[in-house]
Amino acid sequence: MSTVSPPQKRSIFGNTMHAREVRLAWALILPTFLIVFGLILFPAIFSVWISFHKVGLNNLNDVLHAPFIGFDNYKAVFSDFAFKWNGFSQMGAAVTTVFYSFASTILTLLFGLVAALLLNRPFKGRGLARGIFLFPYVAPVISVAFVWRWLLDPRPSGVLNHVLMSLNMIEAPKAYLATRGLAIWLVIIFQAWRYFPFAMLMILARLQAIDDTLYEAAAVDGANAWQKFLYVTIPELRYVLGATFLLRLLWTFNKFDDIWLLTGGGYGTNVLPVLTYQFSFNSYDFGKGAATAMIMLTALVVFIAAYVLIVMRNADES
Amino acid sequence: MSTKQESNGDRPLRFLDHLAGWINWPRFLFALGLFIFFAMILFPFYWMVSSSFKSPAEIASRTPVYIPSQLRLDAYKELFDANQAHFQNFGANIVNSILVAVPTALIAVILSTLGAYATARLRFKGREWMLNGVLVVYLFPAVLLIIPLFAMLAQISQVFGFEVQDNLVVLIFTYLAQTLPVALYMLTNYFRTIPDEIEQAALIDGCTRFEVIWRIVLPLAVPALITVGIYTFMIAWNEFLYAFIFLNDRAAFTIPIKINTIFNDPSPRPHVVMAASTIMTVPVIVLFLAFEKFLERGLTAGGVKG
Repeated sequence: MSTVSPPQKRSIFGNTMHAREVRLAWALILPTFLIVFGLILFPAIFSVWISFHKVGLNNLNDVLHAPFIGFDNYKAVFSDFAFKWNGFSQMGAAVTTVFYSFASTILTLLFGLVAALLLNRPFKGRGLARGIFLFPYVAPVISVAFVWRWLLDPRPSGVLNHVLMSLNMIEAPKAYLATRGLAIWLVIIFQAWRYFPFAMLMILARLQAIDDTLYEAAAVDGANAWQKFLYVTIPELRYVLGATFLLRLLWTFNKFDDIWLLTGGGYGTNVLPVLTYQFSFNSYDFGKGAATAMIMLTALVVFIAAYVLIVMRNADES
Repeated sequence: MSTKQESNGDRPLRFLDHLAGWINWPRFLFALGLFIFFAMILFPFYWMVSSSFKSPAEIASRTPVYIPSQLRLDAYKELFDANQAHFQNFGANIVNSILVAVPTALIAVILSTLGAYATARLRFKGREWMLNGVLVVYLFPAVLLIIPLFAMLAQISQVFGFEVQDNLVVLIFTYLAQTLPVALYMLTNYFRTIPDEIEQAALIDGCTRFEVIWRIVLPLAVPALITVGIYTFMIAWNEFLYAFIFLNDRAAFTIPIKINTIFNDPSPRPHVVMAASTIMTVPVIVLFLAFEKFLERGLTAGGVKG
């Protein structure tokens, strides 16, 4: 359409075809833009401002006149016991977040890969099986988290306790989610259980697009099933595995609900999103909370930039 | 397997023979893997539904009851029957959740259709910039936004004199902000797959852009609109954090906040929590299964933040 409009004058205030199209485009997109800008981009910028000011419950109604305190909020976060590294038994939220994000993303991808390989084989009822495999991902987090909490109940009537006690693997019931060291692994397993369907779908879509002739060629060369998997499937999946890893890591890093509902951030499972919440809404130090969130965001941006520059570029080249 | 003419004594042997002929290592591993996945996925859901039908005695017993002796509705009565001792008035929470999730889905579909039409069909400066900017939203954690939103809305409410806390409309707007970027992205990609010759012809015949959207684009885009609608509904229905921060009054609670409250009640009643969770989960699963074909494509195409 725009070929009709004269190229020398493209003011959007004119009455040319192009100018009218541009005005229409902005009119159509304006409501979306206003909502996203007003409720996501502006707050994100505003939270940078908050992180440099002393904002508590007392001056929340007059937040624009909050006293400027420079990097004090950041210093307070970095020296906070809950944030910093205190050895392996008290890893602190910073290290816990990194450890848990990577561990659960890797486990999620592994589960997803196995599930995708299973569902890539044709069998009766595969469509239904696919649907069922997605249940953990679509079900509300609150219901599945509470079911898990109850399965892991510390009383003898908890299912895991009952099973392990009947198998004589433990003698007395254990409080799994209230045991340091164990709790974080349970959170990681929960995350893998809940999010593997996403990885599975991404991988499955790629698996079904792999050219069969590659496998035939490998068979001619005398490759067995394992070699086919290693030298045909995995290289073909590299890009989708990399992209899924990045997306999942990003979302896991930011995740609040899952950990909050499972452990409340206790017993060595305190991560940065939960810490942000606690600073802001338990001790009502919004400046410190915002500073925590900014630290989190900075780490994330640096990581993603590095990842995209190094890993994805290498994947493109090869 | 065995046919009718054979004697009964042969049958198990025949069956074993058949099985031995059929089974091999790959098949065995495949069946085992599938079984483990099914058990792992379905057991928590089975536990949720079955527990909601247990009696208080079965809930409190020393060992877990795997199969309830009968389908008891005690938990559901507590949720809905006003004559019960621990009446939860859960119906009101369901209404609240619907009042939030349905408008969110409808408004998101309408606004993102308009926006996506612009980004897919019209040429304007900053179009690619805007589409890429949408992806940046993936970066911002909800906990990061909740602090400035809380402060901002407190200011705005003072100026305009409305209540931020316990206001479901505020909640709808925050959910829209969360869902519109994904919706816009998904629909733009979809519109780009529809050839635009018909639209061009209609424009030449004198249709306005709105007529084109209404008469041509929308009918062609129905599957994508359903996908976006169901996703936004599911996100709003499942959302926990924003509702947790913005709702303080029991009467305004949405379902997730109500479940959290029942769970943290001083006298633990897991069967009631499980009944409420079942009521919350069933519509989502049913919706998902009914529209699975559309939804799976959407999942891999744009990715739903979660």
